[in-house]
Formats: sequence, C-alpha cells, structure tokens
Amino acid sequence: MIRARDITKVYGNRPVLDGINIAAERKKITYIFGTSGGGKSTLLKILIGALKPDAGEVFFGDRDITKLRTKDLDPFRKKMGMLFQHGALLNSLTVGENIALPIREHTALDDNIIKIMIKMKLELVGLRDFEDLLPGQLSGGMQKRVALARAIALDPEVVFFDEPTSGLDPIVAAVITKLIADLNRLLGITCIVVTHAVEEAMRIADKIIILYRGKVLAEGTPQEIRASENPLVQQFITGSPDGPISFYASSKDFREDLLVG
Amino acid sequence: MKSVFGHVGRALIAFLQTLSSLFYLFLETTAQSFVVLADRKKRRQAGILAQVNEIGTHSLPLILTVAALLGIALTVLISFQLRDVGGYNYIPGFVAVAIFREMGPLITAVIIAGRVGAAFTARIGTMKVSEEILALETMAINPVRFLVVQRFIGLVVSLPALTMLAGFTAVFGGFLFGSTRLGIRPDTYVRETLDVFLFKDVYSGIIKAAVFAVIIAMIGCYRGLVVEGGAEDVGKSTMLSVVSSTLAIIVLDTFMTAAFYG
Repeated sequence: MIRARDITKVYGNRPVLDGINIAAERKKITYIFGTSGGGKSTLLKILIGALKPDAGEVFFGDRDITKLRTKDLDPFRKKMGMLFQHGALLNSLTVGENIALPIREHTALDDNIIKIMIKMKLELVGLRDFEDLLPGQLSGGMQKRVALARAIALDPEVVFFDEPTSGLDPIVAAVITKLIADLNRLLGITCIVVTHAVEEAMRIADKIIILYRGKVLAEGTPQEIRASENPLVQQFITGSPDGPISFYASSKDFREDLLVG
Repeated sequence: MKSVFGHVGRALIAFLQTLSSLFYLFLETTAQSFVVLADRKKRRQAGILAQVNEIGTHSLPLILTVAALLGIALTVLISFQLRDVGGYNYIPGFVAVAIFREMGPLITAVIIAGRVGAAFTARIGTMKVSEEILALETMAINPVRFLVVQRFIGLVVSLPALTMLAGFTAVFGGFLFGSTRLGIRPDTYVRETLDVFLFKDVYSGIIKAAVFAVIIAMIGCYRGLVVEGGAEDVGKSTMLSVVSSTLAIIVLDTFMTAAFYG
C-alpha cells in the first residue's frame, strides 16, 4: 500500500534518514519505532508528502508522491488521515467545526448531513456530547481523540499516527491504542504508527519496524522481533539503559573534549 | 574584507529570497481570493466581514483619536510659523493637503501595521508552531486560502476606509482648533479648505492606503507562515513583521508621493 524506497534526509551534515526501505501493507497496523530524535517524525512527514526527501521515493499504491506538486498531491491526501502528536486542532474552531472542516472542504454535503457525520465520528471516539466545546476546554487526551475523529472524517484508506500515546496517562494511552486497533479491525483502515511505546506496539501491531541511526535495524511481526537475537533489538524492546545503544549522544571523545575545551 | 563581502552578499541574497517569496505569496493570495469570492460556500466560510469588523471597526477608536490629535498638532505648529506674517488663511488648505496627501495614509498604515500586521504574524505563527498549518495541508486544505485570503481582503477593504475617515477627522480637528483658538471664521475655514482641496488628494490617499494594505497583509502573513521552532521565533517574527512593514510603508510612501505630486 505504502512503500518507501531508499529514503535519505540530511540536516546540516547529519543524515537523519540514511537509505530507509519500508513497506506498510493494506489493512494492517505497522508500527515504526526508534529512539527520540532518531528520524521517526521526519520519516512520517516524508510519508505524508509534507517534506521532500533528499533522495528516494514514496509510493502510495503505484504512484511516487515525492515528485508531485501540492495540487497533484491533494487527491492522495484525501485518502490519508493524520493524527498529530499534539492533536493540531484549530483552536479557534469548536470540536464539531474541526471535524466538519475536511468534510465541508471536499464534499458538497449539506449542513444537516455534516452534523450527523460529526456525531458519528465523535461517537466513535466516545465524545459525542463535546461538539460545541473549543479544543482549549478539553484535556490533552480528549483533544487527541477529537483529532482522531477529524483524521477519519473523510473515511481515509490510511491513517498516520505521530506518537499517539506520548504524554498521556496509562489509561488514556490504552484507550487510544484500542481506538487504533478498532479503526483497523472494524473499518479496515491501514494504520501507520510512529512511537517509542514498545508495549503498545507489541500488543496490536501486525508489523514492527525499528529505526536506529537513520537505518532500519529490524522488521517483522511482534513475535519475530521478540525472538530476535540482535542485542540492539533486545535493548529496544526491554528498554534497558545498559546495552549497545549508548546513553551518550555525543560523538567526540569525552577526555579529548575536556582537554581541548 | 572578504568576510564583509560575504556578509553583505548573504544578506542581499536572503533579502532577494524574501522578496520573491513575498511576491509568490501575493500571486497565490490573489488567485485564491478569486476562488473564494467566486464560491458562495467558501465566501461564507472565509468570514471576510468578521475580518473587516476586527481590522476596521475595532481600530476606529484608536485611529480617530490619533487623527484628531494629529490635525490639532499640525494646526498649532503652522499657526506658530504663519502668525508673524499674518498668513492664517493659509492654514486650512495646508492642513487638508498635508493630511490627505501624506500624514493620513502614512500614520494610519503605521498604526495598522503595529495593531493588525503584528496580530496576523503572531496568530499564524502560533498555528505554525502547533502544527495546525501542517494539519490543514494534510487535509488537502490550502493554508493560503484558509488563513491569508480573508485577512488580505479584509485589510485591503478596511485600510483605505480607515485612511479616509482619519483624514476627515484630522481636518475636523484642525478646523476646531483654528476656529475656536485662532479666530479663523468657520465659514472662511471651510471655504479655504475646499479651495485648495482636490479630488486627487482623496484618490491618491486611497491608492496609497490600498498599497500599504497589501504590504501589511503580505508581510504579516508571510512572517507567520515562515515561523520555525517555538515561542521565541513567534516573538522574533512578529517584531520583524512590524519593523519591515513599517519600513516598506515609509519607503513606498516617499516614492508614491513623488510620483503623484513630484
């Protein structure tokens, strides 16, 4: 469904993504995880066409979307939904208006039908009574649920999730994770989730891709990942501070740095 | 020496890049304005009237107060110069011409750049930081159409109207001071004003105001759209927005005054 080939992105002279190859299958849940600052969000922005890679292609179906201009990209964007890390709801619009936004933009439905659609989408995330509130009046978790309702407003084929559970309490995080699973099982939506929450990935993912230093470290089903003998992979899934992945991000030798500095 | 050229060269390139981006934004905004104006649903959604209300009506008290005081101050200043030669009858015409040709459009635009242009940048910049603009893009909604068009049209409609109202208020301020404190007869004051005052003074002011409106709207929105990072950059961008639009207004004002009356 979505394939990325040889994606490379360089910031300054640091390659954030270094020839990444990944594929997400239709109607499956694919989790991409890696350390913070490991290029996960950059990859996500490239997958949705918001950022151009320095090299490589992203295929949506059989079209390469990295070469498209904004106008030609729009038909693909209507088939995608995106849940942003902090929701990215428009703060000046009510919850209902936020969800109505893509529907009004891309369909000719009249207001009564749009109202019904808003109620249906909000019911799906369990917030039907909150239509007239402003995003600022909701908690972080609720904002994310509303943002999810907006992401699926146009019944997309694919929904991308950027750190859907970060900064949420464990119960709300579990609710969001269940919503992702429901979207996939009940509505057949392809889900691509970028996260560093390993446990939730292990629970619902069909496929897990681990990024490390701009490359794909490992990929496979949760069972395969768990069974991996690669010490790096083991450190990822156990979240151990000790292991081959260093806590020190600096590349210079400490002693040398002190002596010179 | 080499590094000086390097700095100047880089600054020049950055400046030209900004200019071309502004021009591109202007083209895109104009094109999207027609899209919005042609479609009933989009027109309603854009909320142009709300913008006119916010930019125009809400700026009125400030603009009119400043204009009235400006008219009085100008009259006081010239009367001081003309007292010795007994040239009080030149005051009405001078005040009207100075206000409508130069001071009115300039002061109004500078105030609006501070009040409205800064608000555009801060608002759009904050939306950029919280990924709302990216969210619009991923929903295949054109951010220029959604955020810039109504501000652009609102300002292009409001600023000329504000400028004219400011002009009349300033002239009225001068009239009040002249007729009550300087002893110029009210009917003489009105006649002297109308003698000098040309239709050209009105339309040159309107054209100036329209150009300033485009400048303020484009720089204000552009600075918001290019915000990167966080709150600090929103602040910096807002400051840059006010400074650069004020400077652009003053430079263009000089050229336009020279073109109209030089």
